Amino acid sequence: MHQMQSLQHPAELIAFLDEHKYVADDEMVTALFLLLKLNKPLLLEGPPGVGKTEIALVLAQWLDAPLIRLQCYEGLDVNAAVYEWNYQKQLLGIRLQEGSGLSVEEKEHHIFSDEYLLKRPLLQAISQTNQSPVLLIDELDRSDEEFEAFLLELLSAFQISIPEIGTIKATHKPYVILTSNRTRELSDALKRRCLYHWVDYPDLQKEMTIVQKRLPGIEQGLLEQVVTAVQNFRKRKLVKTPGISETIDWAQALMTLGYRALDQEALERTLGSILKSVEDIRMVKEEGVAALV
Amino acid sequence: MPTKEASRLRIRDSSFVGVTDIKRTIMKQQAFATQSITESIVAFAQFVRSHGLNAGIQETQDALLAAESGLMAQRDSMKNAFKAIFCHSPEERLVFEKLFVLFWDTNPIDMEEDRKNKTKIQGKVEKKANPSLVMMGFGETKATEEEAKSVSGANATERLKRTDLSKLGEMEAEWLEVIAAKLFREMALRMRRRMKQSPNRGTISLRNTIRRNLNKGGEPIELMRRAQKPSKQRLIVLLDISGSMDKYSFLLLRFICTLRDYFRQLEAFVFSTHLVRVSKALKLTRIDNALALISEHAEHWSSGTKIGECLEQFTGKYGKQLLNGSPTIIILSDGLDTGAPGQVQEQLMRMRQRCKRIIWLNPLKGMTGYAPEARGMKEALPHLDTFSSAHCLQSLLELENILANA
Repeated sequence: MHQMQSLQHPAELIAFLDEHKYVADDEMVTALFLLLKLNKPLLLEGPPGVGKTEIALVLAQWLDAPLIRLQCYEGLDVNAAVYEWNYQKQLLGIRLQEGSGLSVEEKEHHIFSDEYLLKRPLLQAISQTNQSPVLLIDELDRSDEEFEAFLLELLSAFQISIPEIGTIKATHKPYVILTSNRTRELSDALKRRCLYHWVDYPDLQKEMTIVQKRLPGIEQGLLEQVVTAVQNFRKRKLVKTPGISETIDWAQALMTLGYRALDQEALERTLGSILKSVEDIRMVKEEGVAALV
Repeated sequence: MPTKEASRLRIRDSSFVGVTDIKRTIMKQQAFATQSITESIVAFAQFVRSHGLNAGIQETQDALLAAESGLMAQRDSMKNAFKAIFCHSPEERLVFEKLFVLFWDTNPIDMEEDRKNKTKIQGKVEKKANPSLVMMGFGETKATEEEAKSVSGANATERLKRTDLSKLGEMEAEWLEVIAAKLFREMALRMRRRMKQSPNRGTISLRNTIRRNLNKGGEPIELMRRAQKPSKQRLIVLLDISGSMDKYSFLLLRFICTLRDYFRQLEAFVFSTHLVRVSKALKLTRIDNALALISEHAEHWSSGTKIGECLEQFTGKYGKQLLNGSPTIIILSDGLDTGAPGQVQEQLMRMRQRCKRIIWLNPLKGMTGYAPEARGMKEALPHLDTFSSAHCLQSLLELENILANA
């Protein structure tokens, strides 16, 4: 909490993110700064594997706040995202009340109380009593448009209506980070309520810094070869373009197997950790290591 | 000089923002023209709005708050902050870069020279000839008397439904458009209805069951059910707008607009020698606006066809995002390919692995004696789930059954 209040300038965030092995540029940090200062949700878009989700984890660490995560998928509905009644418990509750002489209204009031409510991520996020949590709504583009529309109330007013109980308003507004891979365009209404940042693949220098941060033991020669090769992969037409996480996996695989430089044998044995499609692997193997570094 | 109308609009606009110290009739185009920081930022918001960015009052307010929180001190952090607030897509971010420089970095001295060739504000839709007519191949209105007489009565409606689109006169074309709009609307409605299930089926809704049976001591006597949600599909449409498809492309485009009401997600592309994504334009409510926007984007309207190349552009650029196994793909094309052989086949194979099914609608198929002899079409055939005609209204309406039984 105290970090939040003493924060004066985006640059202060960079240092911290750096400590937590997250390399961010000025634009990204400014967007995060505004997320904290204006308390508006931040929408991050970009290709898979560039660290969109990771930033939420690091932010939660920095704020020392709980991270609440909601993974979106096709068909995600309010029951899975917001709340559900504990039906089994309700049925038991009704049984136990038999012969207690309570009126129907009283019974109803009882079994639709907090005790029988199952809180799903979104409700959890706005019912925190101690401090503002970080709410990560991951891969929002996978959900239905209906769900996106539902989010509008939550993102602007930070409140949720439950018919049996009433409206629950957040005492501590969560810091919301939404991510999207752009498989579909999100609605303008939703975008209007958010800050926006586009996260792209890093350039050679930045990616080397990132891998170095994550794998401090890596040798400079190998690091350079690996990252150059990955940068090359991204320029080509591959079935699946590798992200940063795959670069790190690959470098780690090479280190674990004890390779100190990228040669043909090393390439063939570890290619599965960077390329995830038969066609890609076959093509790169045929061209050989010389074409890469 | 701004017209009276325009200046009135602007006045309303600036008072709408609620900042009292700017009550000017002309929008400030550059930072140096303003008196205070607050005014500059508000003017900047108006400036980017006039260039198509979605900057409303909320965004302006956020920008002011951001400036207040100490970001003004550095040029870069201010720029990044405004970027996060005003932009909502990678494309907008590119435009923003230019606008930012234009607004904040223009020197009054440079302006003097620039005044002669004044910059035009984008975003105005110019009045053009009726886009639908242009697309159908009739540039200007020259309807003859005879044509007007030749179409009338209920029988004509039935006849028009079966007439090959390429053989329509201009009068008929206009009328057909009216019929098509009506029929397509009905079709979308029918398809929606069909997916709704009766309340007697579907899974049991425990929530409603418990609630309803409380007065029976909580015993679940009366079962309440949850109606099955209509399972909407995702649809990707690729429309050929090359010269050979001229007579058909407009009506087909209108057809695509109808489909948008029914499908959960509709992605539309037009192609001839290049592929252009038009999904966003289709979201406009008025179809004429949508068509005008699309024809603006599609530079290669009515040129040659490179189907294979365009399909490759599709799988390469959008395939990873859009093809995740569930969508249905509709290709509307006559299959007259002038690209490299084998390409159509290869791309369709790749698409097929990652979608639910591929439907190819070919206007030529409706012609008597047509056989898929064109190389592009021949290559495609083995990889299609449905190959059907699309030469008249009736054949398009039949697609309803194909789609509904998915």
